[in-house]
Amino acid sequence: MVQVLIQGFLLSGLYALIAVGFTLIFSVGRVMNLAYGAYLMLGGYAYFYAVQTLGVPKFPGFLIATAVGGLAGLAMYQFLVKRLEGDHVAVEISTLILAVVIQAGIVLLFNDSSKILLPIVDGVWRVGSTSITNNIVAAMVASWIILGGLLLFVKRTHMGRAMQAVSMDTKGALISGIDTNRINMATWAISGALGAVAGVFFASYTQLNPSMWVSPLIIAVAVVIVGGIGSIIGTLIVAHIIGFMEIITSTFIAAELRGVFTMLLIIGVLVLRPQGLFGRGEL
Amino acid sequence: MRKMMRLAAIAAVALGTSLSSTGISWAEGTIKVGFIGSFASDAGRSTMRGAQIAIDELNAAGGVLGGKKIEMVSADTAEDVTEGIKAYEYLAETEKVDFIISGCIDDVSLGWLPRMTEYKIPTLDTWTSNIGIIDKLVEDYETYKMYFMNVATDEALATLYVDFGKDILAKKMGWKKTVILQEDTAFGGAINGLVTQLLAPEAGIEVLDTIVYDVATVDFSPIFSRAVDSGADFIYVISSVNSQVVSSQYVKLQVPLAMTGVNVAALGQEYWEDTGGAGGGISTLSPVPSVGFAVDPESQKFVDKYVAQYGNDRPKFPQFNGFNAYWGIKQAFAAAEEAGGFGLDKWVPAMENQDLVLKRDGELWLRYAFWKPGEVEPRTGRTYPHNIRFDITPPYDDGAPSMVVVQWYEDGQAKVVYPPKYANGEFAVPSWVKK
Amino acid sequence: MARVITPRQAALWLVFALVMLALPQFVSNGTLRIMIFANFLAIFAMSWDFLSGKTGYVSFGHPFLIGIGGYTTAILSYRFGVPISISIPVAVTATLVGGTLFFLPALRIKGTYFALVTLAFMELMYQLIQVIRPDLTGGTRGMSGIKTMVSGAAPNFYLSFGLMFAIALGLWMLSRTRLGTSLDAISMNEEAVSGSGLNTTRLKLVAFMVSASVAGLGGAFYVHYLGSIAPRALFDINFVFTIIVSALIGGSATIIGPMAGAFFMTFLLEYLRPLLPGSERYFVYGMIALVLYVYQPKGIFAIVSDLRNGKLRLPGRAANGDAA
Repeated sequence: MVQVLIQGFLLSGLYALIAVGFTLIFSVGRVMNLAYGAYLMLGGYAYFYAVQTLGVPKFPGFLIATAVGGLAGLAMYQFLVKRLEGDHVAVEISTLILAVVIQAGIVLLFNDSSKILLPIVDGVWRVGSTSITNNIVAAMVASWIILGGLLLFVKRTHMGRAMQAVSMDTKGALISGIDTNRINMATWAISGALGAVAGVFFASYTQLNPSMWVSPLIIAVAVVIVGGIGSIIGTLIVAHIIGFMEIITSTFIAAELRGVFTMLLIIGVLVLRPQGLFGRGEL
Repeated sequence: MRKMMRLAAIAAVALGTSLSSTGISWAEGTIKVGFIGSFASDAGRSTMRGAQIAIDELNAAGGVLGGKKIEMVSADTAEDVTEGIKAYEYLAETEKVDFIISGCIDDVSLGWLPRMTEYKIPTLDTWTSNIGIIDKLVEDYETYKMYFMNVATDEALATLYVDFGKDILAKKMGWKKTVILQEDTAFGGAINGLVTQLLAPEAGIEVLDTIVYDVATVDFSPIFSRAVDSGADFIYVISSVNSQVVSSQYVKLQVPLAMTGVNVAALGQEYWEDTGGAGGGISTLSPVPSVGFAVDPESQKFVDKYVAQYGNDRPKFPQFNGFNAYWGIKQAFAAAEEAGGFGLDKWVPAMENQDLVLKRDGELWLRYAFWKPGEVEPRTGRTYPHNIRFDITPPYDDGAPSMVVVQWYEDGQAKVVYPPKYANGEFAVPSWVKK
Repeated sequence: MARVITPRQAALWLVFALVMLALPQFVSNGTLRIMIFANFLAIFAMSWDFLSGKTGYVSFGHPFLIGIGGYTTAILSYRFGVPISISIPVAVTATLVGGTLFFLPALRIKGTYFALVTLAFMELMYQLIQVIRPDLTGGTRGMSGIKTMVSGAAPNFYLSFGLMFAIALGLWMLSRTRLGTSLDAISMNEEAVSGSGLNTTRLKLVAFMVSASVAGLGGAFYVHYLGSIAPRALFDINFVFTIIVSALIGGSATIIGPMAGAFFMTFLLEYLRPLLPGSERYFVYGMIALVLYVYQPKGIFAIVSDLRNGKLRLPGRAANGDAA
């Protein structure tokens, strides 16, 4: 039982970290960025290339990965989203195409074999039959810090409040003199950077692979759908629902049904309560 | 006006692409070999390069079938089933190849198999070990007879693996109980079925629990906890898709239980680089010649050529299917010389009779020959038409073993640890596991 | 209340059919093989378009429907030896019934959420088909050696073109009835349509059922053309990508658009092969699709009809006032 609690909290922390950047775009831009998983992939590969191929120390490597993600987010906004402004379906479809293109690009640059990231933080300890790596603890701590920081940023800073305003009412924000273009650029860049950070942790937990963008995207989508239009707190809660559901399925039911339950949860919530468990919250 | 230009350009492209037919250049006096496989994977590239080296040698030696040159054309599958079918059609209809060598994975080969029976092009598979394809030859030899596979099938692999369990895991390590972790794939299911069935009666190892897990599993800690709690002496893992995740989490979590089994990611020399060294202590069974396998002098010449030609680009060392492609091309053309071409009536029997024995220190080391239709393999008591002639009974003097067990040590070296004839290292458990 | 078909339109359809039917005399077998894939992709794109392009309900899970049709006929004919003439109609019915049952609740959901629930269905199907009864579905590896109807490039071309042509003509006629125009209206403004006294749910359901039957029919014929079926070949995000992009690049909510788009996409990928044999091919292919789509999301056909109406628009979204 203790083991389930520990494992549940650790995995949920990672999931919250994966979902938060996606939530941000969804609440501010009201748009589903299907290339979000590609940020994670870019971040992971950038870190791998910097640290494990070029031999850059871990911390600068981490910053490089974050910068790559941020730039990717910015570029995506400038070249895709802005052009298609207002047409959500077109944004979704073009980000889907982009994700497939990025996947092909990764295959081109890195070959399609899987690669392993070394732990960002070394060390492992045991509780009974359960092993816990410091790396996943670090991912959980990072996720709490990032979520907390983001919450403070949104509530306390001028730009954060402007983001909040845009997320509630774009036209209203425009009228009250907020430069929505600048806010959007910032949001997309932050989302990309957050995705890349999550990607480094996700990859250090699983593996780097050209098709690795799909499963974190599904996790992020699940969190947003089940939670409703994403508030940061909602993201945290739902990440825990999904994380614990997965650990409980693996421990007590059947490990092969892990993904099936997540899909059923998505479909069930969408059909029975399309607005999500927590409704349309704000940021 | 610019709009008009753009429209005209688009229309021209659309029209041009849909109506023009690709020019077929089929020079008189050349033989065409088609390669089908993924250009981006180590497995695909090993086959492609092995075949290319063999073809270069044949051309340098004056050509084949009365001085004709061989030309290789390649079609990428990107490991996608539908793209594989398109690639096969391209080789057959546009390039009109005489022979096809394949480095495809299971479902891709199964995908183009109906095309092969339609075009009747002799085809040699060097990577997939899927018994399902050989079963098709058992059921309907006439239809599938142009197919050859020079990797030992899953069943042969599993049989030898049970011997490894008996000789090393049970006798030497004194292990009596195991827990199986199986990736939820057809390959995993097939191997699991065979091993579970044989492990208790033949090796005396009891299977306490079988945990089947989803291919996309992110977190293995609950699974490892279950394995440790089961009270088993070791974990037997069967993974062919995302092998890196399970083995690297095993290492990162320092699971206090030995683990061995099938780990497809650990088959290539690049495993150490890809895992950044987080792959020590892992052992896997591998088709021959594997990493760490001492090769015979003839194959060594191939390895040297390969390294000289491709040593800067991964895979820097050929995987087992690279050897299979190299020797397979040689044999296919030897058969063609005997049969006077690739006509099925004569080529198929000629290919069936190919027999290449590679010796090391005067001992049979590797053998490239095929099971004939109707010929029964004594240990498993069934037929394997057109599968490589493997030998799963010691002392392995009648053919190459179907597989060996490869051990990766924590210092990055890899050695063969089973069967004894080929072993050059000791089976080991990671340092954090209490013996 | 069907609009009258003008002699000119009838002549255009006839010329199209005649040109295509004459094609095997002029092009190589290799090209015909590519066209067969293009014909099937055109069927899937038209099916997608009838639901998504017309009503604006974007489906990301179309392979789910294609898969029901494909797997039903594959299991019946491969495992139980049922003749194709029976297994295909059963497959189409199964797609219609199964698809409707599963998708029906989803029609309550709008926009992005509808897209996601369909994507979730596809993923679910992908995982379940491997876990549940692998003795029937063949699990991860699928089935190989499924009966084919005809063999050879030209006969398969005639068969696939005949099917594609019949479906295109059928959908075109259907879109000219009052049903078609009401569906177009839904994509513009669903509230207004329901305000004018039409039952939008019933309209959407009909559009969905038409789309599902076409997907099931196409999927069943497709499997009997390929001779094999595997979960990875069908329930794949790349397959979704190809279908959607074909429909959109050609120009959605038209019949000829998805058809042209499917031919364009298939030939683009295939003609890149000699130039870029390796993995660069998929990268370039995806890039071309992306640039074309972002440049003009309404597709090539939109430009053509704009030109015919004498209206020239600036590229990009700025001038498209009807964005959702």
